[in-house]
Amino acid sequence: MTVLWPIAVITIKEGIRNRAIYGISLFALLLLGLNLLIANMAAHDVGKVAVDMALSTISFSGLLVVLFVGINLMAKDLDKKTIYMVLSKPISRSEYIIGKFFGIVLILFSTIAFISIFACACLFVLKAGYATYFPQFSWSLVFLGIFFILITLILLSALSFLFSSFSSTSFITLVLTILSYLIGQSLSDIKALIETSRITGAAVSPITIQVVNVAYYLFPNLSFFDIKTQVAHGVSIPVPTILWTVLYGFVYTSLAITAASLIFRKKEFS
Amino acid sequence: MVRILTYCLIALFFVVHIVAVGKLTDQHAALQKSGYQNQLFVLPSPILKVVALDYDGVVSDYLFFKGITYIGGFASRGGRFQLNESQWQGFYNILDVSTDLDPYFQDPYYFANAFLTWDAGVVRETNVLLKKGSKYRTWDWSLPFFIGFNNFYFLQDYDKAAEFLMVASRRPGASTTLASLASKLAFKAKRTENSIAFLEEMIKKTDDESMKKTFGTRVEAFKAILVLENAVDDYRKKFRRFPVNLDELVKKKIIIEIPKDPFGGKFSVDSQGAIRTTSEFLLLPYHR
Repeated sequence: MTVLWPIAVITIKEGIRNRAIYGISLFALLLLGLNLLIANMAAHDVGKVAVDMALSTISFSGLLVVLFVGINLMAKDLDKKTIYMVLSKPISRSEYIIGKFFGIVLILFSTIAFISIFACACLFVLKAGYATYFPQFSWSLVFLGIFFILITLILLSALSFLFSSFSSTSFITLVLTILSYLIGQSLSDIKALIETSRITGAAVSPITIQVVNVAYYLFPNLSFFDIKTQVAHGVSIPVPTILWTVLYGFVYTSLAITAASLIFRKKEFS
Repeated sequence: MVRILTYCLIALFFVVHIVAVGKLTDQHAALQKSGYQNQLFVLPSPILKVVALDYDGVVSDYLFFKGITYIGGFASRGGRFQLNESQWQGFYNILDVSTDLDPYFQDPYYFANAFLTWDAGVVRETNVLLKKGSKYRTWDWSLPFFIGFNNFYFLQDYDKAAEFLMVASRRPGASTTLASLASKLAFKAKRTENSIAFLEEMIKKTDDESMKKTFGTRVEAFKAILVLENAVDDYRKKFRRFPVNLDELVKKKIIIEIPKDPFGGKFSVDSQGAIRTTSEFLLLPYHR
């Protein structure tokens, strides 16, 4: 732990120096401002549109932080060879990976917290103005939604660590992370699509079914963490579902980080 | 010399820019009028669900807004929305896909019920859409109420209407009159009285002032028809035949005067004793 903390702190300092994080936050604030205008357009479901926009803004800007700040922080050490200096210190490669990961988790946490404060302020203003159009609204669900977004982003960061442990450039890591995000978000829908095609009698090749089944267990199913629709309509989530989802996120993240540090230990720097 | 040329070029580009914006604005408007852009297209929902990633809710909002701004383009004062069949189909599809992405979203159901029944006359399809909403929005009594209303008013399927009204009456916040309305329907009571009761319920449910006004006028018209129907009944009991025209009711002192049709039509009575009005097209569902 004593070794991890300085690495995490350096990672946070590096992250804050990255201009992209300010750009992303500004972008998020603009989207939230837009939310004040757009939610008005709904006839009844002002609350639903407002929550949709607020949570999607948090999720999208968080994704940008993972892709353009998180990956850079990991890859820059490799690209600029500063990693030699770090590894010459008395710390193991696993400690380096885990410390770095904690740093990025803290950056994600603070960015999401910052944007969430404004998102909640935005919801608060709209709720004060259109109280009757927020019939099922619940703050605890909104916070649960934000928490699930944070888990998704941490999981995705862990995956980007796994990719950067074996890929040679940050660009490949970026592409692989984006691909896993796309696959992770659409897995459930594609599985459902194939199953309905089978029910309606449309021909689906057995290879496709096998590929989807393998992908379904291999890639993280990010749609488990997507409860924006339920939050927007105040549909409560059962406690066991919450616990299983958190457990799933924790296990997948730990697996990815462990695999990353195992591969990183064997990595040869040229 | 070079500097002057540069300034001249900038000025020239600026002029061309202004002209181009003006020209393109007109041409773009003409393109939209040509009908090619006047159709709504939307991807099928299984594909859109994959493409929307975790932004299903926002995409659903977008599609709904696109749908209502599209139909808003056809708005005309006081009249029906003049869309052709494929344009109505496009509007239906976009609301259908919007509610596939977020089946809890109330507004698409509300607008579907407002436009697709009264203006487009696609009642059965609208009910399919509303049933989807009723399945998900279990706390909302208005959707099964709408289905019941449509079955009663447009499809004249009283059993189905009673069934959905009972569903609506059991949901939280439902008006207490719904259950009695449903039971009345089960006995297939008089259509006009039930229409009045139904429409009064609709007025309570609606918060849009112009819709309220339209429903109010319809209630007035049905009340006038009810007065005439009762008068014709009395006449038949007295003279054992139907009146030839409505003036006869006044002449025989059954009513003092013939009530006015709030839609500006003229009431008449047919050989079966049923009340007709020349403004029936505004009162009754639209048939293509």
